[in-house]
Amino acid sequence: MKLKILPPTLRNDKRYISFEAISEIPLNRDDVISRVWETSLNFHGECKTSKFDLWIMKVWKIESIDNNVIKGIIQCSRNEVNSVRAALLLISKFSGRSVVFHTLGISGTVKSAIKKFIIIENQHK
Amino acid sequence: MFFDFHVHGDSRLALEARRLEYNGVAIIQSSKKYSQKKSVEIKEFDGDFRIWSGVEIYARNPEDLKKKVKKFRDKEDILIVNGGNLKINRAACEDPRVDILAHPYKNRRDSGINHVLAKKASENEVAIELGIASLIKTRLSSRARLLSQFRQIIKMHRKFGFPTIISSNAYSIYDLRTPRDIIALARCFGMTVEEAEESISKNPVNIIERNKINTVVKGVNIIE
Repeated sequence: MKLKILPPTLRNDKRYISFEAISEIPLNRDDVISRVWETSLNFHGECKTSKFDLWIMKVWKIESIDNNVIKGIIQCSRNEVNSVRAALLLISKFSGRSVVFHTLGISGTVKSAIKKFIIIENQHK
Repeated sequence: MFFDFHVHGDSRLALEARRLEYNGVAIIQSSKKYSQKKSVEIKEFDGDFRIWSGVEIYARNPEDLKKKVKKFRDKEDILIVNGGNLKINRAACEDPRVDILAHPYKNRRDSGINHVLAKKASENEVAIELGIASLIKTRLSSRARLLSQFRQIIKMHRKFGFPTIISSNAYSIYDLRTPRDIIALARCFGMTVEEAEESISKNPVNIIERNKINTVVKGVNIIE
């Protein structure tokens, strides 16, 4: 059973950050979740991270020749976008291998985030 | 005047609470292992430090909850309902005989309270409890998630006005914290000083005062 969704006036304001992650070994959604939370908790602390309302929404695997590239969308609070971007920047390692996160853009809805930044060329989502 | 309304233990814990400058505690028994004799034993009146007794109800479904509330309401000063399940949360908020709904966010990803439950809780004057014990025992991401659940509850409290209570849910002396420290912590997760002080002083007193008046339905009291 799920809680009824809040009316629009009581909802938290959100932004959706589109990111791409290039890594030496393949990543999946769980790996991304653990790295992003761990880096944010270490950098900003527990109290500040609780204000972000972080949520990794979806992750897509992108075909690439020599690297493993994934693109995804992160949901965060509207007022804390800069702090989340800073935490994403600071992710550098996963299981001893190098990884890098770039933010492609920020938007207010999931649909426009996908349309503008996650361009799928003949790919199945 | 500071009170801690969710302490599991015996008189040793109450002595420690008195040393930490609380003015009263409520010693809570679980409804699974309830003994009437213990409830009478621990009620003492020692100067300006008072001990009340209460029971924490573990219910499987709303019908079970109603039976247990009916059973324990006349015997105990304080009734706490163990929250977490949405149906139990809803049934507890709709029942004016319940005093406190404890940790509605337990084992959940959301906060357990939405605008519907908040409105019912403020109409029936059911207090929502923010438990410090789970903050102390968790680390890292579960602690961050707990803090955002607390923020959500405080946001609902500001909009709808149900009473909030902060308590320690202590099982040993290592779980108790002084009242001023708890106010300082409450300011970190978004409460104002007035809201935090109300949660550990004024709201517990209101619960006790309300239970002294023998109420049948809202607006109808039995005087004799």
